[in-house]
Amino acid sequence: MIDTIIIDGLTFALPMFIMAVGGIFSEKSGITNLAVEGLQGFGAFTGALVMVIMMNSMGNGTQVPYYMSFVAAALGGMLYALVHVILCVKFNGNQVISGVVVNILAMSLTSFLTRRINADFFGQTSNKFILETSIRFDVPVLSGIPVLGAAFTSVYPFEILIIVVAIIAWYVMYRTPYGMHLRACGDNPHAADAAGIDVKKVRTVAVVLSGGLSAIGGMSYAYSISANFSPDIYLGFGYLAIAALIFGNWSILPTLGACLLFGFARSSGQAIIQKLGMPSTFNDLVRTLPYVVTLLLLVFFSKNNRSPRALGEIYDKGKR
Amino acid sequence: MKKYMVKLLGGEKHQMLRISLFAIVVSLIFGVVVLLIIGNNPFASYLNLLQGSGLAPKRSYAGRKNMFTDFMNLLDALTPMIFASLAVTVALKGGLFNIGVSGMMLAAGFAATVTVGYSSLFAGAAKPLVLIIGIISGALVGALIGWLKYRFNINEVVSSIMLNYILMYVFTFFINSYYVDPVSRQSTNINDAARLTIVDFKAFGLKFDIPLAFPLAIIVAILIRFIMDKTTIGFEIKAVGLSRTAANYAGISIGRNIMLTMILSGALAGLAGVTYFCGYVGSIQPGVVPSMGFNAIAVALLGCSEPIGCIYASFLITIISNGSIYMSSQQGVEIEIADLITAFILIFSACSEYIRMYVSKAAMELNTAGEKKGGAQA
Repeated sequence: MIDTIIIDGLTFALPMFIMAVGGIFSEKSGITNLAVEGLQGFGAFTGALVMVIMMNSMGNGTQVPYYMSFVAAALGGMLYALVHVILCVKFNGNQVISGVVVNILAMSLTSFLTRRINADFFGQTSNKFILETSIRFDVPVLSGIPVLGAAFTSVYPFEILIIVVAIIAWYVMYRTPYGMHLRACGDNPHAADAAGIDVKKVRTVAVVLSGGLSAIGGMSYAYSISANFSPDIYLGFGYLAIAALIFGNWSILPTLGACLLFGFARSSGQAIIQKLGMPSTFNDLVRTLPYVVTLLLLVFFSKNNRSPRALGEIYDKGKR
Repeated sequence: MKKYMVKLLGGEKHQMLRISLFAIVVSLIFGVVVLLIIGNNPFASYLNLLQGSGLAPKRSYAGRKNMFTDFMNLLDALTPMIFASLAVTVALKGGLFNIGVSGMMLAAGFAATVTVGYSSLFAGAAKPLVLIIGIISGALVGALIGWLKYRFNINEVVSSIMLNYILMYVFTFFINSYYVDPVSRQSTNINDAARLTIVDFKAFGLKFDIPLAFPLAIIVAILIRFIMDKTTIGFEIKAVGLSRTAANYAGISIGRNIMLTMILSGALAGLAGVTYFCGYVGSIQPGVVPSMGFNAIAVALLGCSEPIGCIYASFLITIISNGSIYMSSQQGVEIEIADLITAFILIFSACSEYIRMYVSKAAMELNTAGEKKGGAQA
């Protein structure tokens, strides 16, 4: 039972973590990003589309489409993030409103395109792209460790990918000049500007990166939850990722902790329900756990929470 | 180009209204382009939208149906939308962003459904009771969000999103455990006595729905406008919304007004919830956060965050969403295209501030250019 808790918890937590890292990139640069939900959905859409096309042309048996789908998802997410960039950075729109609108557009655009592409190119009426089921593997040696070995058992390849990407993201954020500039833009854009940093450019790159990272998370959920892309991808995990990053105080490592907490709360709840033989409807109660935990912890810790100081403020060069 | 933009959108008078109209027109043109690309007749499609909403006659009608019955159906869908967009508007006036309208709607709908909806009360008592329960439960959720905001400084956007999902999953649990209809997989339909829409009312040889709360929606919109523009309460809410420090300096209590704004907004969202779940549909679909709460944000923006503007904006968006079913059956186009056009209207209205700035800048440039020219001639 502990094995399933660890395996399911990680499968849920890691995609959420990479989405939250995406959110951190955007928010640390000073752009509120409620658009994570839409970005992950759009990324999953482009990834799934590429996967379906490649599966049709290459046939089964190779792992190439699987990895290409993640590349495509990241690119799609980055491209779509430009909508948020245009609305917030270029047009100085309200960032919260822009985020919500970007989400609404992603939902309608992807469900429209999915239906249309299915009808025009694959000759079927369906609002889904069926994906190949992802392989899962055991890490040799490590999976043999008692109890903790479960973390290395039946691993999705994307979990490894997410960890690698997250390490790179951490390095970029805290160890490179760009990361330094990014954090400066979120705390005091005017000082950053005075130091010769192009605030708008830094923020643009940050939001675009945020789109790519969120999209990887979205694509992972498309594989792990249902092995297809459909409008059901908009389950609100993007919003949960935002909760995780706020709870993690806008830093990458504590956010990982928050995501793991959400993941294990969810999987252990489900395991307990199964163990006690309660009806599956109780799963819905378990699903509230991450949200309830977030709210309660915010109540207790919101005083210590320190958001980037210029978060959500429109950058106006002339303002002092 | 610049000149026409300035002529069209410049100047103070009704500027926001004109920019909203501009957003709508651009989006509709965008819709025409999309429809042309996918090989449909855009004008026939738009006509279908109107026909589906009962604003233009269809070629043929089923028995006991005509344009009037379609129009009544439109009003039925319009009622909750007006309430929901008013809820967003009130919060925006107070400087708060209420993304929790969906959760409040669910709370109101669920509370009214299980208490009055399944009881055997007679209509005269049940219907007002549904409204009151809706108002109270919506206001309670709003009060909770407001309290978290001012007592613990928790961003209202975050807490409302959390509450949306908490409420949705909890109600899903109760519906699936106790109130589910095995055929429709939704909650069992509420009794007709409690329903705020009279379904299939037979008169004049027709069968139509009567949304009883529609007049109330209009009255409430006017009332909100009155409160906001003419009373101290409205003035204080707006003052807090414009600048918290300035309001505080003027001796206006921030906490009290944040609470008040959220309670008012919640009460309106509650009305939206009961008119939607206990009126328009009559049951609750488990596992879904109603998208109306999110669309209402857009509608409120499109309506320039003005109560009366909300009525017009709701009308437009409801025509598109309501007429799209008929459009997709007539033209064979995907029903999602209606959402797409709506989303584009939203995107453009989110740019309204930029358009306003762009126009005033362009106007200034034109002015200085004109002055230089005039000077040279003299």
